[in-house]
Amino acid sequence: MTTEVLPLSERQRLRAKRIKKHGLANIVTHWFNAFSWLVLLATGLAILGNPNLRIMPQGYVDFVRNLFGGIGRLVEAHKVFGLIWLFVITYNVLLGFRKYFLPFAMKRMLLDKDDIEWLKLKAKHLVGLDRDRPLPPQDAYNAGQKLYGYVVVFGTVVIGLTGLIMTFGYLLPPEMRVLVQWARPLHFAAVGAVVAGLIIHVYMAAFFPEEKEAFFSMIHGEVSALYARLHHRKWYEEKLQEEREYEMRVRLQEIAAREKALEGELVETRGNS
Amino acid sequence: MAQVKKYGFVIDPRRCIDCRACLVACRAENDVPLGATRIWVYDLGVQGTFPNVSQQFVPYNCMHCDDPPCVEVCPSQATYKREEDGIVVIDQQACIGCGLCLPACPYHARFIHPETGKADKCNACLQRVEQGESPACVATCIGGARLFGDLNDPHSEVSIALRNARRVTRLTAPGVDTGPNIYYINDEVDATKLAIHPPEMPAADTFYRRIVIPGVLAAAGLTFLGQAAAFARQLVKGESEYEE
Repeated sequence: MTTEVLPLSERQRLRAKRIKKHGLANIVTHWFNAFSWLVLLATGLAILGNPNLRIMPQGYVDFVRNLFGGIGRLVEAHKVFGLIWLFVITYNVLLGFRKYFLPFAMKRMLLDKDDIEWLKLKAKHLVGLDRDRPLPPQDAYNAGQKLYGYVVVFGTVVIGLTGLIMTFGYLLPPEMRVLVQWARPLHFAAVGAVVAGLIIHVYMAAFFPEEKEAFFSMIHGEVSALYARLHHRKWYEEKLQEEREYEMRVRLQEIAAREKALEGELVETRGNS
Repeated sequence: MAQVKKYGFVIDPRRCIDCRACLVACRAENDVPLGATRIWVYDLGVQGTFPNVSQQFVPYNCMHCDDPPCVEVCPSQATYKREEDGIVVIDQQACIGCGLCLPACPYHARFIHPETGKADKCNACLQRVEQGESPACVATCIGGARLFGDLNDPHSEVSIALRNARRVTRLTAPGVDTGPNIYYINDEVDATKLAIHPPEMPAADTFYRRIVIPGVLAAAGLTFLGQAAAFARQLVKGESEYEE
């Protein structure tokens, strides 16, 4: 949100114009990840039935255990779901490493000066200070999203590794079981860090009025140009530049084609005479 | 008491001749591989001076405690105490083999099974007991040193043996009283000579309980309250057509 006021006609034009934000690969991976998280969180919380570690009420733990047919089956199911999740996510990252992952990591994740300023100002805004000062322009993801991006990426790595250790820990020699023992709190801590941010992520995307478009952009991939201009100015400018370059190329091709046609006509007229 | 039955062992060390037939019977019944055992006989050595010398053999296995520390540490409740009869068992499918229960047991009654890689211990031959038979070690004991039965039933063999005993000892030590359900009768057993230790909680477990769980709950609670407050404010404010 900026304090800058756009004229009505401009606002209407931008509202109608669509910009592609998420590709199909990202959308599919996102929803696969979201669904997996839901299932893994639901089963994982029911595994923690020990009164010293329990998070959910006993009724929930019993319900999910009975649903799967006992704690043994539940643990097996959690392992299988987790392995599927880990395999698909790793496969997707490797498959799209050059096309999606590297550009994302190099261009979208790094924090610049504006991002640092954004974080400082956002913290002030949240406690009610400096409300009239506009936030600095942001890239495709704002600084808050970037920070949470790091939590998710590193969280995924930690969860995956500790999960593998716990799934296949029984194959380790008995004196190395200390690895399995440490994997448990780390697994839980990483999940906790992601979930703490996930609560905000879901609220912002699904309910927050100013981010109305974010949720549906994860379904059809598009946002309005007005949203992009107001929330992700730098990315919007980048997209405009891309558009201008594309149009320029098309026009050059057009001109080239027309020249060719003219030349052809010329040759024809000469041949006739 | 919710628990209807309370299975336990009564052992008379005077009758034990250290033949270890119980170890063999246990191995055969429960497919325990060589190099591991669910049951032990401790030789406490020669006691006293000539001509009044004696030698004591103390057979023991999992005590199926009233307050089992192994159950308390198990994260997934793969190890649990059966409500119907008090036998402490391990769900092999749920066990991930983290090994937390090994140092938690004051009696070293647990080990990592060399073939499955998971925790293993005496299950009081549940498969036999449910058919109305006694555990293999009890059935095979030639001297009748081992008895097994329902301690809650006053007419059971174990209850009668306990009533008629000259002396009853449970293996407890200072700081270790988990309510073990092996009762040694007649001769006194010196618990200090057996390597009983207080339940140990590994650092990973303490870190988990003391730091990770409160930390995660605080972080998730904080963000939840934050979004709840924002959502409430949003609802109070109402919606408008253009929210950009």
